[in-house]
Amino acid sequence: MLQGAKMLRSLLTLRQTSQRTINTTSCRQFKNRVPEKQKLFQEEDGLPVHLKGGVTDHLLYRTTMAVTVFGTIYAVYELFVAGMPKKQK
Amino acid sequence: MTHQTHLFHMVNPSPWPIMGAMAAMMLTVGLVLWFHCNLNLILLLGLTSTLLIMFQWWRDIVRESTYLGHHTPPVQKGLRYGMILFITSEVFFFLGFFWAFYHSSLAPTPELGGQWPPTGITTLDPFEVPLLNTAVLLASGVTVTWAHHSLMEANRASAIHALILTIILGLYFTALQAMEYYEAPFTIADSSYGSTFFVATGFHGLHVIIGSTFLMTCLYRQTMHHFTSNHHFGFEAAAWYWHFVDVVWLFLYISIYWWGS
Repeated sequence: MLQGAKMLRSLLTLRQTSQRTINTTSCRQFKNRVPEKQKLFQEEDGLPVHLKGGVTDHLLYRTTMAVTVFGTIYAVYELFVAGMPKKQK
Repeated sequence: MTHQTHLFHMVNPSPWPIMGAMAAMMLTVGLVLWFHCNLNLILLLGLTSTLLIMFQWWRDIVRESTYLGHHTPPVQKGLRYGMILFITSEVFFFLGFFWAFYHSSLAPTPELGGQWPPTGITTLDPFEVPLLNTAVLLASGVTVTWAHHSLMEANRASAIHALILTIILGLYFTALQAMEYYEAPFTIADSSYGSTFFVATGFHGLHVIIGSTFLMTCLYRQTMHHFTSNHHFGFEAAAWYWHFVDVVWLFLYISIYWWGS
């Protein structure tokens, strides 16, 4: 808890420092959206971290699973075919 | 609602480790089928799934640390040990290729003309592009250290500038080396000279690309305010890896390019 408070304090300090630094340089401004992300991912919705970001997470997970499972089964099939004796003429 | 009373990280069940293992099998089987059976679909699927899994697994680690605060000091200590052990394993990986080089070059066989470099091999001048490459990587070691100090001093703009410079230098090295490969007067098939040269420098080049990608991820995270002045282990891991890549190059330069020419 104390660690979390310290982290948050240093995050806020960095935000203030970075805002000061950015205002005096020609760097593009990137708003600090970490607190918003922290709120999103700390929601008590029972979702595991790999699906907690939203719909994109689910889509990406399913695509990856599809490619991996298909590829694995196909690889085992091709290994089986490669291991079978060739037909003689 | 229960809370843990210790500082260690109890990870959510994740699909990435098992899927990563399946992807690794697809890569290895895919390579074999490409070499021997003229089939490249499995290799392509393996590369695709490996990239997807790497992206999501590391994305989850960023979520667990930056957004969920799970990387307490003991957890970070474990990550430090892990990175050091990984880099040590990579050192041993390269040691093997240096062993092969010295095995071939210290006692050149009659098939090579009893000399090193072997008869008929035109070596690259170590004081031309290879020396420039050495300067580029050494400079990138300086810029990555500058980035680290800027980060520790909460100097955001400086950290971003130094990181960008480091990445540019890394990409410059890769471009120079690609040009050298294209223009080289010998190929990988030219006796053990060619094989030791291209396998050792080739794996090194791959590690430069990996290191540059790691640094680009750090640049993204720095612009997104993920790092704080006293907690930025992802960056430190990238910097350690980058220094390792630099040191491997120095050994390559001295052994293969200079002594071996």
